[in-house]
Amino acid sequence: MQVEFIEPFVRATFTVLSQVVSASPERGQLTLRDGNTFTTQELSTLLGVSGDIEGVALYGMSQVTALKIASQMLDQDVKEIDELASSALSELANIITGNATTHLETAGFQCDITPPSLINGSGIQVTTLCPALLVPVSSQFGKIDINVALRKTRKAA
Amino acid sequence: MSAKILTVDDALYMRKMLCSILDGVGYQTCEAPDGEAGVAAYEAEKPDLVLMDITMPGLDGIGAPKAIIEKDPSAKVVICSALGQQQMVLEAVKAGACEYVVKPFEPEKVLEIVQRLLSAAA
Ligand SMILES: [Mg+2]
Repeated sequence: MQVEFIEPFVRATFTVLSQVVSASPERGQLTLRDGNTFTTQELSTLLGVSGDIEGVALYGMSQVTALKIASQMLDQDVKEIDELASSALSELANIITGNATTHLETAGFQCDITPPSLINGSGIQVTTLCPALLVPVSSQFGKIDINVALRKTRKAA
Repeated sequence: MSAKILTVDDALYMRKMLCSILDGVGYQTCEAPDGEAGVAAYEAEKPDLVLMDITMPGLDGIGAPKAIIEKDPSAKVVICSALGQQQMVLEAVKAGACEYVVKPFEPEKVLEIVQRLLSAAA
């Protein structure tokens, strides 16, 4: 896992959050997860990445943050993560990750992404291909942890 | 009669948003949640234009336009995707898409493209 791989995701998160939910995000400290395993927060959205680099991008947040973001996206008071709220949060992750792959192309890496998945429930153990890098991004909606565990494939080496 | 626009996107949120933008200015709308359903809906609904996502389960937004245009060479497909790589835009154009919008988008941008393509056809 190289630090350069997470930067496109942080950049994309900043632009997408400000455009989609009018957030003013602030960046927290970059850390490297200890080992290939970590446990999820209350709600996570994740997408697979394949191509010149492969692995996963996982966006973790609290239930409160998820409800606030979904409320803003749907322009209504969302009280539970139903089908529509879940689809809004998944699509937000899709847009962030899609924008990140555009930045990755500029950095010389061609990749594609999978449709998003959503995990509603905390303490799920996630095992990744390599230790994940973590950058927390805070805004008026609360904190989103961007977890990116990506490695170069032989194709790109 | 107003033009009919088919929205193909796996995200319920995005289908609702696009349909409400289009509905708001008087277009007829219909929707499909993936590429296969999109191809079927194209045949059943005979829309004047398609808004097509790329990242979808099953047949994606590169395969679906190919299938649609194979049956109707005059089909107008506008890609609406989170992916902005030049390589993906190229693939979409090769698949027959006539415009490419990167998410997130301004509603006005989508409307401008839709109106321009439909008036060109009229
Ligand atoms: Mg999609």
